[in-house]
Amino acid sequence: MTSVLRIFASPLARRLAAEKGLDLASLAGSGPHGRIVKADVETAKAKPLPVAAILGQTEVIPNTTLRKTIAKRLTESKQTIPHFYLSVDLDIDELLELRTKLNQRAEGFKLSVNDFIIKASAKALRQIPAANASWTDEATIRYSDVDISVAVAAPGGLVTPVIRRADAKTVAQISNEVKALAEKARAGKLMPEDYQGGGFTISNLGMYGIKSFSAIINPPQACILAVGAGEKRPVVKGDQIGIATLCTVTLSVDHRAVDGVVGAEFLKAFRALIEDPLGLLL
Amino acid sequence: MTNPSDTNFDLIVIGAGPGGYVAAIRAAQLGMKVCVVEKAHLGGICLNWGCIPTKALLRSAEVYRLMQHADSFGLASPNPGFVLEKIVARSRTVAAQLQAGVKHLLKKNKVTVVEGHAKLAGKGKVAVENGPTLTAPHIIIATGARARVVPGLEPDGDLVWTYKEAMIPKSFPKSLVVVGSGAIGIEFASFYQALGCQVTVVEMMDRVLPVEDEEISALARKQFEGQGMKILTSASVTGLKKGKDEVTVTLGEGEIKAQRVLVAVGVSPNIENIGLEECGVKLEKGRIATDAMMRTNVPGIYAIGDVTAPPWLAHKASHEGVICVEAIKGLNPHPLHPRSIPGCTYAHPQVASVGLTEKMAIEAGHEVKVGRFPAMGNGKAIALGETEGLVKTIFDAKSGELLGAHMIGPEVTEMIQGYCIARTLETTESELMQTVFPHPTVSEMMHEAVLDAWGRAIHF
Repeated sequence: MTSVLRIFASPLARRLAAEKGLDLASLAGSGPHGRIVKADVETAKAKPLPVAAILGQTEVIPNTTLRKTIAKRLTESKQTIPHFYLSVDLDIDELLELRTKLNQRAEGFKLSVNDFIIKASAKALRQIPAANASWTDEATIRYSDVDISVAVAAPGGLVTPVIRRADAKTVAQISNEVKALAEKARAGKLMPEDYQGGGFTISNLGMYGIKSFSAIINPPQACILAVGAGEKRPVVKGDQIGIATLCTVTLSVDHRAVDGVVGAEFLKAFRALIEDPLGLLL
Repeated sequence: MTNPSDTNFDLIVIGAGPGGYVAAIRAAQLGMKVCVVEKAHLGGICLNWGCIPTKALLRSAEVYRLMQHADSFGLASPNPGFVLEKIVARSRTVAAQLQAGVKHLLKKNKVTVVEGHAKLAGKGKVAVENGPTLTAPHIIIATGARARVVPGLEPDGDLVWTYKEAMIPKSFPKSLVVVGSGAIGIEFASFYQALGCQVTVVEMMDRVLPVEDEEISALARKQFEGQGMKILTSASVTGLKKGKDEVTVTLGEGEIKAQRVLVAVGVSPNIENIGLEECGVKLEKGRIATDAMMRTNVPGIYAIGDVTAPPWLAHKASHEGVICVEAIKGLNPHPLHPRSIPGCTYAHPQVASVGLTEKMAIEAGHEVKVGRFPAMGNGKAIALGETEGLVKTIFDAKSGELLGAHMIGPEVTEMIQGYCIARTLETTESELMQTVFPHPTVSEMMHEAVLDAWGRAIHF
């Protein structure tokens, strides 16, 4: 936990310090009651940033606003949120079969496994509302709507457009919406209303063959689900070794807002929905 | 009091003007035993022959001007007139009231007041002419300044005036030449012009109110000329020829005849015959040199106000008095930032400013953002019938620092403090934009001028 001490500094001093990359906490204020003023920032020497020696040929890619935002938010998340991680293997053979059947009747949609994962997450959140939450210093906020952020790789970096009320939408609706948003994201045309809000994030690297990974929580949300690749693996069925298509998902959880049991209950509900996928069509 | 029973003090202040009496009161608040020596009037020039009585005169001029325009407000004021003696008497009453107020304040704070001319008389000693010798470890020189006299333009108290004669005219001149267009010259020009005198202002520089932003100077000139004032810039008076109740003023090749001439070409510090040389107090450009805590080069001797570096303004003197005393007490006060001292001219229109002009800001290497808002776009100004005016803000484009603010128009002398607070608190444009200005007020122009610097003004 970080203790929040108010630093007294003039607005101008704050702006100048930010420009110079100076930490206000490192300055002594000469203003009334030790307030940090412009003169203090001007006389302070900018401390060299701890950068490792860069040798050899380099290419310098200036930071875009998006890059800076990503850097700031994720650093803050990893440094201030007590993450814990829960993993579970999903048997997705039935889901793949259902998906194939549905796509064969294709009428204006082509469903992906991820579309089912979004739908299943949304339904599971409706069942375990305690996981659809945000931590604040004053209170834990629980969302009434189930809005799912979906991580999309855009040219400048990661963005997370939101599928709103995903629990109330059909898999086909979700599928089409994700496609449209992903296209907008890749074209750099997302509007604030496309990515603001959201109570839960799904990040899927399965298409790259990643078996499993742990994602950094997307603040102010409390949970993010990292989805790995579906792959055939040997499994024990009864007393026999068999083959099944498994997919490993890992839930990163903010322990301040969501306890381990709640996270586990969510994954249990989620797994049940994925492994009995007909329920997702209801 | 001329002979105090006890002549040993913690602090002696020479001069009871706005620098000296404020320093004395602050020192008394801090528990010091204080003596003020004054040779003329408590309150100094400011209160007796400067700031305050001129404001009383200008108030009469303002009411007179409104009476002349009564019809436009739906009021009847046929043939408005004035009685000069009464205007002057009111001004003197105001000064007297405030002088009594200062006397009361000094008494209340148990400050000993000694009347007479004081002179430094060695370490920790002050000799009062025909009076006692006082001692104190700390001595503040706050003797102020007087009208500057230039050769050829020596005032005679009759036809050629300084501010003092201009403040108590025995008769109202039909015509007046004002030499110098600083605040003092312009205020008297405005007063006499308003009451019907033909005023000609002669200024050496290329514009009136030369310390103000160029744009403000130009607007002021336009309005003064619109009122019938004659203004000659880049002009110097080369000679005066006095006649009977008339002066011929020579300006290079030209000549102007006027009943009176007012010389307002700055002030000279009162640094003579107060023992500075004997004590080895260092001067710089003809003023007493001090550090930021108002210490001279001689330990135990301090100087504040008009005897020190410019600007020569009452509020600067008062502030320096407080800083000086607090530093003596080891309170570590904040030094005065010269660019945060506002300047006001109470003519019609009023002019007020703080900080850098646009030109100075650019010359200092700032990338600037400039905002402007005209009184014409302000509802309250229109309701007042005062639609000539402008508020101009100058920001550093990068840091958002308010570098300067310049105003001309109604009530601007009362409003400039808002920008002074902003500068003291080191606000950026962002806090000023977030500030809620009451509607309807002329002060909304100040908000709009900030918004305009970022192209966001609403009403223009």
